[in-house]
Amino acid sequence: MDETPRTDLAPPTAARPRGPLFVWANAVVLGWLAVAVVLSAAHQVLGLPGWVALHALLLGAVTNAILIWSEHFVVTLCRAPAPLARRVAAGLTALNLFVVTVLAGVTTNVSVMTGAGAAGICVIAAVHTVFLVRTYRKALQRRFGHLICFYASASVALLAGAVTGAALGTGAATPIWYSRLWGAHVHLTLLGWVGFAVLGTLFTLWPTTLGIRIADGTASLARRALPVLAVGLVLTVGGILAASRWLTLAGLVCYAAGVGVAMIPLVRALGTRRPRGPAAWMLAAAIGWLGVAVLIEGVRLLLAGSIDALPDVVGAVVPVFVLGFTVQVLVGALTQLLPVVLGRGPAEHKSLSASLARGWQVRILLTNLAVPLVAGDWPRPLPQIGWAFGALGVGTFAVLALRAAIPVALRGAATTVQAPDRPSPSSGTTTGIAAGLAVVVLAVALAATGTAEAPSTPVSGAAHTVEVTMSAMRLRPSTVDIPPGTRLVLRVTNQDSMPHDLRADSGQRTPRLRQGETALLDLGEIQGDHQAWCDVAGHRAAGMTMTIRTSPAAADTGRDHRAGHDPGTGAGLDLGATPSPGWTPHDARLAPPAGTLHRVELHVTEQDVEVAPGVRERRWTFGRTAPGPALHGRVGDRFEITLVNDATMGHGIDFHAGALAPDQPMRTIGPGERLVYRFTAHRAGAWLYHCSTMPMSQHIANGMYGAVVIDPPGLPAVDHEYLLVSSQLYLGGPDSDQHVAKIHTGRPDGWVFNGMAAQYDHAPLTARSGRRVRIWLVNAGPGDATAFHVVGAQFDTLYKEGTWLLRPGDPGGAQVLDLAPAQGGFVELSFPEPGHYPFVDHDMRHAENGAHGRFTVTEPPQ
Amino acid sequence: MIDIWTIVRFLHVLGAIIWVGGQLTITVVVLPPVRRLLGLAERTEVLRTVGKRFALITAALFLPTQITTGVLLAWRNGVTWAALAEPGYGRVLAAKLILFTLVMAAATVHGIAQAKHRPAAARAASITALVGSLGVILLATGLVER
Ligand SMILES: [Cu+2]
Repeated sequence: MDETPRTDLAPPTAARPRGPLFVWANAVVLGWLAVAVVLSAAHQVLGLPGWVALHALLLGAVTNAILIWSEHFVVTLCRAPAPLARRVAAGLTALNLFVVTVLAGVTTNVSVMTGAGAAGICVIAAVHTVFLVRTYRKALQRRFGHLICFYASASVALLAGAVTGAALGTGAATPIWYSRLWGAHVHLTLLGWVGFAVLGTLFTLWPTTLGIRIADGTASLARRALPVLAVGLVLTVGGILAASRWLTLAGLVCYAAGVGVAMIPLVRALGTRRPRGPAAWMLAAAIGWLGVAVLIEGVRLLLAGSIDALPDVVGAVVPVFVLGFTVQVLVGALTQLLPVVLGRGPAEHKSLSASLARGWQVRILLTNLAVPLVAGDWPRPLPQIGWAFGALGVGTFAVLALRAAIPVALRGAATTVQAPDRPSPSSGTTTGIAAGLAVVVLAVALAATGTAEAPSTPVSGAAHTVEVTMSAMRLRPSTVDIPPGTRLVLRVTNQDSMPHDLRADSGQRTPRLRQGETALLDLGEIQGDHQAWCDVAGHRAAGMTMTIRTSPAAADTGRDHRAGHDPGTGAGLDLGATPSPGWTPHDARLAPPAGTLHRVELHVTEQDVEVAPGVRERRWTFGRTAPGPALHGRVGDRFEITLVNDATMGHGIDFHAGALAPDQPMRTIGPGERLVYRFTAHRAGAWLYHCSTMPMSQHIANGMYGAVVIDPPGLPAVDHEYLLVSSQLYLGGPDSDQHVAKIHTGRPDGWVFNGMAAQYDHAPLTARSGRRVRIWLVNAGPGDATAFHVVGAQFDTLYKEGTWLLRPGDPGGAQVLDLAPAQGGFVELSFPEPGHYPFVDHDMRHAENGAHGRFTVTEPPQ
Repeated sequence: MIDIWTIVRFLHVLGAIIWVGGQLTITVVVLPPVRRLLGLAERTEVLRTVGKRFALITAALFLPTQITTGVLLAWRNGVTWAALAEPGYGRVLAAKLILFTLVMAAATVHGIAQAKHRPAAARAASITALVGSLGVILLATGLVER
């Protein structure tokens, strides 16, 4: 037990410990690291998801590094037979091809590619595990057997991590399982694959960086730590998969305990010698962040009180795991190990070490300053500055290391080695590249803040706003139809516990939205069809996509939205706006009944109708108006209505004024078909008629309603007789998903009398003072009750649903006629003096949003 | 459509091509063989001459052209001072201007270091300027797309 293992890592021979393959493999690691830095700084500019940068780092740089170095340590320290160089080369080539395949698959949303790449990584993990287990049996130096156990456990975690990752990336995970699998994937890869491999290596690497011997008892502590760590990981992952907060917490505590046990020999080593130089400090800081990350996660999960908070908590600690722990460990370990690989003999080692250590204090400072900046919930520029710091710290190392590694890989000689007294002709190059990259990264970060922040800027000018919700891995609506040239704004709300974002193929994107957060995505003027999707890896494959279609069919409606109102935001109708040129109010006067047989041909049409001042919308109508024509008769009258469907979809009709078996007359007829509906009005009342095709709420809300007025016998004539049909107003294309969703959730954009908001404010009804006025009312709905009131006047007659509740001469008076959906009745009154008498639905929310009109009352002619 | 603005844009792009292209050519094409083939004295002489000439072209032609055409193009695109702070086009343009200023500062540092016979500092400054210029081009490309 006396031999120092220091020489095992850095044999003082003139030859390199391993061949050129090993140099190339390390160059590939550095290449991935550089790619990850560039992508993390520029992915927004390039329109790539942040996922790509993260996986270039973890799957590219870190996985390559762990594979080659674990194999190297096992072979060197355990005196195990080295695998054939050809096989290693083939394995590493395959790994990198699979990584590229996965990255390309997720970026281009081709699930087959993602799946194939992930499957390949699973195979590599399995082969690596088998290799390690076999090596354990053949190892001559059992003193380092624990190292192999750590690596084999890590390798099993990689296998499980790749399987979960494949389920996420290909969209195979169902919505409920997605967030659980995601949590499992994060922990398997970071705590398992990276964590086990790093902790196992540290037992040897840490004393080496300090320049001391491995203490006695290290191996036995290592053997004790591994089961604790493994149980911790299994419990954590099991807890996440079973959605059990306590199990997850127990797992994290157990894992932290394992880290604690593993730390004992490392902390003891500090008693022998203080860390000096970059490698030791970086490794120490990295382990510190691992502990902090596990601690933060546990505490936040404990405080959150529900497993639903897991995606949020994990999302917050992932930057600490990745930047604080993983990246720093990688840089620290390579700072220590690369000189061994690249240099021949102590002189070259020393010079390489010196060149890799350049500016290390600043780099460590930047990286560790970056961790809290990117992980905390800071206001806008701070996380960006954090990412820039991280990119600078790591990017500088990548440049330094590549400048050392590439010449060795190409020519087998380290060029950085030279006499210290003679300045190199190329000195200053690294400083220049680092400084140049630094300013570019900062500038690009500054420029890129714009796109992410753009949604929060107020939308100016007329735009068509569509509400988009994210829940259960779906975007609703999944299709948006607009006329070409419409300026489209999506108001995106995430209702899932998973974070989501929305990205359009034209490049605009929302920031990552947590549960309950909303962002506006201004897509500008839309020409041609577009796709939008959630850019979180795997969510697009799982079906979080939407199609934006432009069709001239939607042209008239759409243009009218833009001219007037913004239907999605519920910002309120502009009731004072001027109605469109050529507008005529819906005639509220009720013509007296004519004859006893009422023959009417009702054509169902799709029609542009003024629904609020200046707002024209496509409506489905009976007889080209909404409400449809009023039918006025007496008890015993016969009605014969021919319904002609001139529209493009099926419709039907239902007359409440008649009583008959609905089977035939109320059936849905297709476009071009006709239907004759015959009924006798046996009972008096104000009756609703409406479309009988499902979903009726949609057909009614789109304008398919009207009234049949059957006078009670002996009803005296009055001077003015009006009919008002009340209804809710829903804006948006008649059959868009968001329109239907609004109807179903009962969020109207307004309330109206006779189909248009505030139309009788713009064209008041008239009456003479002292003369009798009768106002018939029918509530068409589809959902809200109404309470009709005339300001400044009292009703002396109230007839509701077939009966008089108040008659002239009764001592009392009435102020409101209240009607549930589909009820009807009439009120009578006489205005006491000339003036302007508003009439309202006295549910003031309704009145203030369109259910409002006016009587202009003048003196009776002398 | 070719109009006066095409000419302005052409001059702006041409200036950028000459400056960045010149830097790249000198660094990647000219300097390595010069270092290898010439002795120390000749090398210094060649580098100094090339550097002076490039500095002269920069100060006399490149900077006035870029600033004039750049201001004209910004005016044409309706860019205001307030717009520079706004996300999107404005902020990319602002970042580009800041980066360009830093690049010019690095180029100046290069000239000073060269004059003071500090080759390492001069080289660091020139490479900073080159990498920064490529960043300017990257941001400019981002502007065109919108
Ligand atoms: Cu219908």
